[in-house]
Parts: sequence; C-alpha cells; structure tokens
Amino acid sequence: MVIERIEAQLPGAILEHHAFRGDETIIVAGTRFLDVVDLIFGEGYQLLLDVTAVDLEAPDYRFEVVYHWLNLASQARLRIKVPVAEGAAQPSLVSRFKSADWAEREVFDLFGIPFEGHPNLTRLLMWEDFPGHPLRKDFPLDGGDLFCSQDIGASFAPEARSLNA
Amino acid sequence: MAGINLDDSVMTTRLDSVVNWARKNSLWPLPFGTACCAIEFMSMMASRYDFSRFGAEALRFSPRQSDMLLVLGTVTNKQAPVLRQIYAQMAEPKWVVAVGVCASSGGMYRTYATLQGIDRVVPVDVYVPGCPPRPETMIYGVMELQKQISRESLSARKDHIERFYQSMARQEELQRAKGLTSYQVVREMVLEAGAAGGQQIW
Amino acid sequence: MTPAFSPFLPVLLLFLIALGVGAAILVVSGKILPGLMKPDNPQAAKLTPYECGAPPLQQGARHRYSVKFYLVAMLFILFDVEAAFLLPWAVQYKTHLGTFWAMLGFLATLLVGYIYVWGKGALDWER
Repeated sequence: MVIERIEAQLPGAILEHHAFRGDETIIVAGTRFLDVVDLIFGEGYQLLLDVTAVDLEAPDYRFEVVYHWLNLASQARLRIKVPVAEGAAQPSLVSRFKSADWAEREVFDLFGIPFEGHPNLTRLLMWEDFPGHPLRKDFPLDGGDLFCSQDIGASFAPEARSLNA
Repeated sequence: MAGINLDDSVMTTRLDSVVNWARKNSLWPLPFGTACCAIEFMSMMASRYDFSRFGAEALRFSPRQSDMLLVLGTVTNKQAPVLRQIYAQMAEPKWVVAVGVCASSGGMYRTYATLQGIDRVVPVDVYVPGCPPRPETMIYGVMELQKQISRESLSARKDHIERFYQSMARQEELQRAKGLTSYQVVREMVLEAGAAGGQQIW
Repeated sequence: MTPAFSPFLPVLLLFLIALGVGAAILVVSGKILPGLMKPDNPQAAKLTPYECGAPPLQQGARHRYSVKFYLVAMLFILFDVEAAFLLPWAVQYKTHLGTFWAMLGFLATLLVGYIYVWGKGALDWER
C-alpha cells in the first residue's frame, strides 16, 4: 500500500502510522513533509480535502497540523499529521493545491500557525485586528465576555478545565 | 418645522390612532436573514401562512425603504457592526424584531464568535423565541409589535433611538481615535459594557 | 345685451378656487401633516451611503473608471447617426445616379474613420 511505498522511497519520513477501520493516518516530520506530499501526489492522492490543526499542548510540540487527501482513482483517503512547535511555520501547499488557500488561512486565523509561501496569509473567519487565536486551548470559550456564559456555571471557565490538568 | 403643538389633545389622540393604524398595517420588513430562521420566514411569506395579510408583502432589502428590521438568525460578533449600520441607516419610524433565540440571546452559541443577543448592539422591540420559531409564532410576534405600535404616541420622542445614535457616534469616535476596524471597536464596546455591569452598548 | 361684467369672470373664479385648493392641499400635506406626524431626526449615521452595512469600498460615488465607456458611447453616436442618414437614402437612391455616389462618398469618409478607430484599438474592450 502507499505507506509501504513511502517507507521504501523515503525511509524515516514516517514517524508513526496507525489505521482505524481503513482510515490511514501517518505522522510525518515537518522537514520531510514536502517530499512526502510530492510522493503521494505521484501516487494519485491529488485532491487535498482539508487542512486543519489540533492544539495538543504536548510537551515537545504544541500543534499538530492535519491534512486529508483523497485518491480519486482508488477512492482511498490518507491523513497526514505534522507536529509543529509553537511559533514554527509550516510550508504552504498553495502552489501545489489550490484548495489549501483558504484552509491554511483558516488555520492561521484560528491557531496562529504561519504558512510560509502563502500568497495572502490574512485572517479569514475572525476580523483583521482580532486579538488572539480562538481555537487555541488557552483562549477562553467566551472570548473574555463576562456575560456570555454567566448562567451556564463555571464549567467552561478556563480555570476549571479538567481535561488537561 | 419640527413639530406643531396642537393644544387640542383630543384631536392629537385621534391623529395618533389614525397614524398608528396606518403604520401598523403597512409594516414593510427588512429581512436581515442570516440563518435558519430566515427559512421559516420564507415559509411565513409563502401562501399557507401568508405574511402579506399584515401589509408586509413588500420586502425591502434597503434600510431606507423599510419600517421593520427582522433579524432572522445568528448574528456573529463580526456581523454586529453591519447590523448597527443597517439599523442606523433605516428611516424612522422603525422597529426591530429579534426572531429566534440566536438573535434574542445568542441561542445555543455561547462562544466568542456569536453576539449574545442583538439587543446588545441595537434596540429591540419584540423578541420571538424559537429555534426556529414556527411561522405562527413569528406572526404572533409581529401582532405583538402591532399592539405596541397602536399604543405609541406621535409626539413622544423615542429615547432608545436617540441613545442608539449616540452610541454610533461613540463608535465612530473610537474608530478614529484608536485606528481600529469597526468590528474590533464594537467588540470592545460590548466587552466594556459587560464589565461595567450592563450589557447594551446603546 | 352685454352683461355688466365679463362672461369669463366665473372662469377666473374657478381658476382662483382651483389655485387655492391646490395650495391648501400642498401646504397641508407638505407642511402641516408632516409637522404633526413626521419623525424628523436627521443623524449623521443615517445619511451615510448604503453599502450593505459594510464600510464603503471607495470614498464617495464619484470614482475613476475606465475611459473605454466614453469611447464606446461616442463611437456609437457617430455610427448610429450615419445609419440614420442611410435610412432615407435607402428608399430613393435609385432615382438618380448622383444620389447613389454622394452617399458612397459619405460612407467612404466614415470608412476611413472606422479603419482608424479599429487600428487604434478603440474597439478592443479588454485592453
């Protein structure tokens, strides 16, 4: 399968891989990412479906940028996750896939991960001078509005988060 | 000629009721439709529920030509200054109906992105709850507005409109002073109002 | 027998009454009733130009636009007038030989102009 072929041609690129009910996921280091992308493009994974990110607050890297590809010929999907440290930039895929344009702008807007080589890296969903990046875990759900969650209770307040305690 | 004072109060009252009758039976809506409530509005305009019975057949998407601003759906914090501008540009007499829970209070969206009720940024006359409200509910809301209109007095100054325009002037001044976009200024005004204990910025 | 007053006096009376009623209607509907009913509240924010609530893309409605609109309008007028002159000629050019050639001369002049316009690229919309 494609993972074996990636392993064969780019040894050491895949840090980890797992599958769940046919859902293939590979974790690729940032330095080898573009090589892997070009390889899978050649393999037929030519439709970039989505670019998104997860704020893990993990010890060695903070974010994981997640890409989804679809191989139209074989209808196989592939997920690539790239660990990104805080402040580090990701190479932009706009030159290869037009669909990366607004998806990367959204990730930049909501997580603050810059993409090198993006022609227009500005905020997409929030307004231009919005302070902060909303989907980061340290951004309060109510955005600092005292009356937003006043009668829900303290469960959504930043201090009371127990998930990552 | 800002106003002619008629000392004969009986005649003023009769004029009031005639004018109010005319106004309440010809409310031309401005459908500020952003989400699902707008779809229910469409079904209200259609033949089964027939909103045009209430004189509201003429949908005017321009603030200059409409009387009643129907806010149908979720208003985000980014959309708030747009809503304020549209309301500001409407010619008086004007009324606002917050249709649906998202417009009334932010609905199920208790987040940084959703405006927690349009009454934080514009004065509202009638709130119609529902997610989305049935067309009958919306019609009931407009009928409540009609009752409110029939109780209005011609000579009374509308305090809420006055305060709204003062808040528009404040917003304009803050934009110029701080060099921020209208989105950020309105957001800051909402947060400031919340921190001070009130919630409305007008 | 001649009446003591002009027979058109009733007409004058009617005219004056019509004038008076018209003026009264205008004053009542333009000044008195609005004075009673009109909510007169001019505000700076109310008078801003309508751009769907968004801040205006350009300052003012009078902004620069391409000269190609003017060129097309002008050329249209010229050739349309030429076409208009062709119409009456078309029905009677057979009456006299000179008629035919006179118009041909006119057309030739305009043809030179047309070739010039074409060559200059004024007909090229996308430029």
